[in-house]
Amino acid sequence: MSPRSLFLAASAFGLMTLQGTVQADVATEALVEPVADYKLYVLDNLDRFVTHTQDFTQAVEAGDLARAQSLYAPTRVYYERIEPIAELFADLDASIDAREDDYEKGVEDPDFTGFHRLEYGLFEQRTTQGFAPYAKRLMADVNDLEARVQGLTFPPATVVGGAAALMEEVAATKVSGEEDRYSHTDLWDFQGNVDGSQKIFELFKPLVIDEDPAFVERVEENFAAVEETLAHYRQDADDPTSGFVSYEQVSDEDRRAFVGPVNLLAEDLSTLRGKLGL
Amino acid sequence: MSDRSDNMPRCPFSLDRRRFLQGLGATGTGIAMAGLSTSAWARSCPADDMPDTDPEVTSAPTSTATTDAYPFHGTHQQGIVTPRPANGMIVACDVLARDRDGLEQLLRTLTERIAFLTRGGTYPQGDPRYPPADSGILGPTIAPDGLTVTVSLGASLFDARFGLADVKPRHLQRMTGFPNDALDPSRCHGDMSLQICAHTHDTTVHALRDILKHTPGGLMVRWKQEGTVPVMSPSDTGPTPSARNYLGFRDGTANPDTADTALMDALVWTGHDSEEPAWTRGGSYQVVRLIRNFVERWDRAPLAEQEAIFGRCKDSGAPLAGGTEYDIPDYSDDPDGQVTPLDAHIRLANPRTPGFEKHRILRRPFNYSNAVEANGQLDMGLLFIVYQADLEAGFITVQKRLNGEPLEEYIKPVGGGYFFTLPGVIDENDFLGRGLLEAAASHA
Ligand code: HEM
Repeated sequence: MSPRSLFLAASAFGLMTLQGTVQADVATEALVEPVADYKLYVLDNLDRFVTHTQDFTQAVEAGDLARAQSLYAPTRVYYERIEPIAELFADLDASIDAREDDYEKGVEDPDFTGFHRLEYGLFEQRTTQGFAPYAKRLMADVNDLEARVQGLTFPPATVVGGAAALMEEVAATKVSGEEDRYSHTDLWDFQGNVDGSQKIFELFKPLVIDEDPAFVERVEENFAAVEETLAHYRQDADDPTSGFVSYEQVSDEDRRAFVGPVNLLAEDLSTLRGKLGL
Repeated sequence: MSDRSDNMPRCPFSLDRRRFLQGLGATGTGIAMAGLSTSAWARSCPADDMPDTDPEVTSAPTSTATTDAYPFHGTHQQGIVTPRPANGMIVACDVLARDRDGLEQLLRTLTERIAFLTRGGTYPQGDPRYPPADSGILGPTIAPDGLTVTVSLGASLFDARFGLADVKPRHLQRMTGFPNDALDPSRCHGDMSLQICAHTHDTTVHALRDILKHTPGGLMVRWKQEGTVPVMSPSDTGPTPSARNYLGFRDGTANPDTADTALMDALVWTGHDSEEPAWTRGGSYQVVRLIRNFVERWDRAPLAEQEAIFGRCKDSGAPLAGGTEYDIPDYSDDPDGQVTPLDAHIRLANPRTPGFEKHRILRRPFNYSNAVEANGQLDMGLLFIVYQADLEAGFITVQKRLNGEPLEEYIKPVGGGYFFTLPGVIDENDFLGRGLLEAAASHA
């Protein structure tokens, strides 16, 4: 991938808006299949999310600190992938994934629950003591989420808009390392968001590629650039399923190397709804 | 996120497709011209000219200066000898481009955006299912409003990434701390600085958002500081008095005369020194310093001490020896500092001794007021910006003379950086940094 084309994407941005306006609307029927496929993707990830949450919360309840710590990041990945859908349930999103900054009293706030409450216990206080109630609550919330998503009709605009929304997540909270400030497992979440965004893009790509092949090429290049930088920080560089090193080990230069492609993806993917007439 | 696509309220509009397509053709191949294309959407929303009514509490503030425009093309960039408007900000960025081509693309995009923003015009209107072409905070048609955007490069841009080391301006360097500094790394340095100035604050914010929107893979903001200058009413009897800083003193009095082009060539514009790379001609060294003022403490200092610290009268701005603000301080009959202490700010900054002329600098500061410190004290101070032809002879020499001055008890420099302001963009075919890139190419 040439760095040059990366930048060209930025300067061409203004034109993208114009091109979009002369494009014929995609027929509504054409959206049915990718939306259905996306629902399958979400349900599959939710399924795995439930199983992983079971293991994770059981480790907390059993007082196995090391195991609970090691399962924290691999469990969250599934949630991060499907965030555009999970976020539709604001109450659950808050109790599962809120951060201490969302509460005036921070970690002391009685309403602060979920992953990041456990993260604080496991990685900052380094204990499972007293966290069983949070583990139970998390498991209940995750089960509730699965039940609710199963009954949900997926709104096409939300699905398509999710590709950009996930990149906005990355730009806003992952690059800075504030999401997982105690465990420093931000790169797992980062990968989860990127996976989720890329999945949506792949599903709808066939509907836009004829009209705007340059757009597709740019997006693919920028996804590749992000993946390339992420790969530097895999525990096992050759194994895409292996985990990541601590975000503290990511150099300032690489943190910056993420920003360019992530912003370009956020800009480009923000036009995907328009391209599909949504 | 919620799904509102089906019941989204929309302004009625009608599209004249043929005119729209013509407009598209006229925009050529890039965003370059986007701002110039005329609106092709015939909106059925009523035009926004309102009948005359008595002003209401939320009626927009009005100004007759919104059409002020400074020509973008010229040997020098605007924003240096351009009269300082009421609002200014410095935005220090890191450049994300990965190679010299990417850097050139960034500089071309900046050139195009600044040319449009400083002239004003209408943004293209698009399909409402897409994000709009502009933030819209100034409406679909923007007025220039005295806007200037001045682009300068930091020493870090001349590292290995772009192969520019051989053509670096001779004095450009990373800012180092002075004895009274307490530099906060998150508010220092940068590959590039954008100085954005305009009559109104929202115009500067709009320009920044436009620029960032067009350079998503090219720039990352590192830090930003906004500032203001109080607006003065012109005096009937003489020159307009200088605006005051947050210590209550008139600031800018003894600046070199920007109307004197020979003086500007000597003091402000780089390139007359044969040891500078030729491409730097018409540029300038920009120094930015964020200097916190301890205003609570200052307001409890005796007036006489305040005046002795600066060497000027607080009300009038006149030298301590008397006269008016614009009387030139003369220390020749005050060798022991009986009238103007030897360590007064203005006396250290410019002893007015023979040969010191070459150390004069052009100050163009703004006052800043941020949040509060943990101790409940106000975080405010001076967004100190100076320009000079030679960084060593200018700021660095003067700051070294000021080290240890009594004013230090009331101020604390916390951030900033050294930059080189690129020469101006001559015409439509030119772009910011062209000379630099050509010099680098011929060096390789
Ligand atoms: C918060 C920091 C500062 C404050 C409040 C301040 C304020 C002032 C004031 C009130 C004057 C007199 C009016 C005028 O001639 O404009 C002045 C003059 C001047 N200041 Fe500062 N200043 C500050 C920092 C600096 C720094 C960092 C430098 C350069 C290193 C500097 C260089 C000068 C110079 C060269 C003059 C003109 C002296 C002359 O030619 O008579 N000042 N400053």
